[in-house]
Amino acid sequence: MHIPDGFLSPQTYLPAYAVAAGAWAWAAKGLRAQLDETMVPRLAVLTALSYVLGIIMVPIPGGTSGHVLGVAILALAFGVRAAFVAYSLVLLLQSLLFGAGGITSLAVNALAMGLIGAGAAVAVRKLLARFGDTASIAIAAWVSVMLPGIIVALVLGMQPLIAQNAEGTPLFFPFGLSITLPAVLIPHIFIGIGEAVLTVLVWRYVRARNWVTI
Amino acid sequence: MNSVKKTAQTVVSRQWLAARGWLLLYLAGVVAITFIHYPAALAVLLVGVLAAAGMERWRYLRRTVLAILMFNLTVSVGYAIVALWQGVFVADYLLLVNLRVLLLMYLGFWFIARVSLLDALAGWPTASLLATLAISQIKTFERILSDFRAAFESRNLARPRWLDRSRHAAALTQTLLDKSLAASSEVTLAMRSRGAFDD
Repeated sequence: MHIPDGFLSPQTYLPAYAVAAGAWAWAAKGLRAQLDETMVPRLAVLTALSYVLGIIMVPIPGGTSGHVLGVAILALAFGVRAAFVAYSLVLLLQSLLFGAGGITSLAVNALAMGLIGAGAAVAVRKLLARFGDTASIAIAAWVSVMLPGIIVALVLGMQPLIAQNAEGTPLFFPFGLSITLPAVLIPHIFIGIGEAVLTVLVWRYVRARNWVTI
Repeated sequence: MNSVKKTAQTVVSRQWLAARGWLLLYLAGVVAITFIHYPAALAVLLVGVLAAAGMERWRYLRRTVLAILMFNLTVSVGYAIVALWQGVFVADYLLLVNLRVLLLMYLGFWFIARVSLLDALAGWPTASLLATLAISQIKTFERILSDFRAAFESRNLARPRWLDRSRHAAALTQTLLDKSLAASSEVTLAMRSRGAFDD
């Protein structure tokens, strides 16, 4: 669900960078204390897995893309801070190496997928823990896709209102909320199911090897 | 011996500073481009960037066009249909948004071809550490995927069944994670021995 470069107005991405800078500082501070020679290689493996999953994407008519995120497994294994930093890095690499996403949209993408997606996964997992591992992790992974999807659709759908010229022609993303919300969310209902299956499978691998640090 | 070490450190520091300088220039350029709303101005900038990019300019351009083609086509066709139907179609908008995206993406590919991302991130230790490991992991993943694909194809002269494909995918994932962890652990130990975890 990366927002590509060039579709967000400066009125959107500059404040988003200000918020993201604070969030990155908070996350990096906690992560530095957590990192040691057992956690680092594991985090690197799952970060690379997220990267690989994220570049297998299909465009969605609403102006974004559909793909599995892999952020839920990062968050469930290593916590929100580690997942946010690692996923932000994934987004940076994807944008510079593959042109997926972009530098102007990096902050919005990172906040939506890396922070809110990770936070949602951990919160839902805790909330539903009593229903067992499989159910709670599958639902947590599904929510970690849907919630960022809502945010991405809202941010994109607001662009015609935020940035237009004197004649009312949009300057950045052209479609309003009536198009972006269904266009982003309907495919992600199914992508979320794929994310849930994948997260449960990787979770079993991760748990069997005692990787979980939260 | 000390002077050799000092010279090497100075060279590395200069490399990092140069990379940081390019990074800041690239970021300033990206922000400036998003404040330009005239297709003609963006077209002139694109021509300027193409002229400055040197011998590799067409390779970067091809890569850029391939990267943005699907998304921009989807948005452009979607806009054309909706705007024509509503009677508000503006061709300049399509020109503006496509030129902007092309220019931004081209700058990104040009930047990453000129500057080492690891050098540019050198001032942020956590990001730099993770980037080093993640990039090495991505390379490991690519190598294992290509080896497995070649081995699977050589074992199946006819089109493989879904069951075989799913078994192959499961084995691939398991190997991918195990090998990748082993490679990453080695890199981490090497980094520890060089003081990467010492504050």
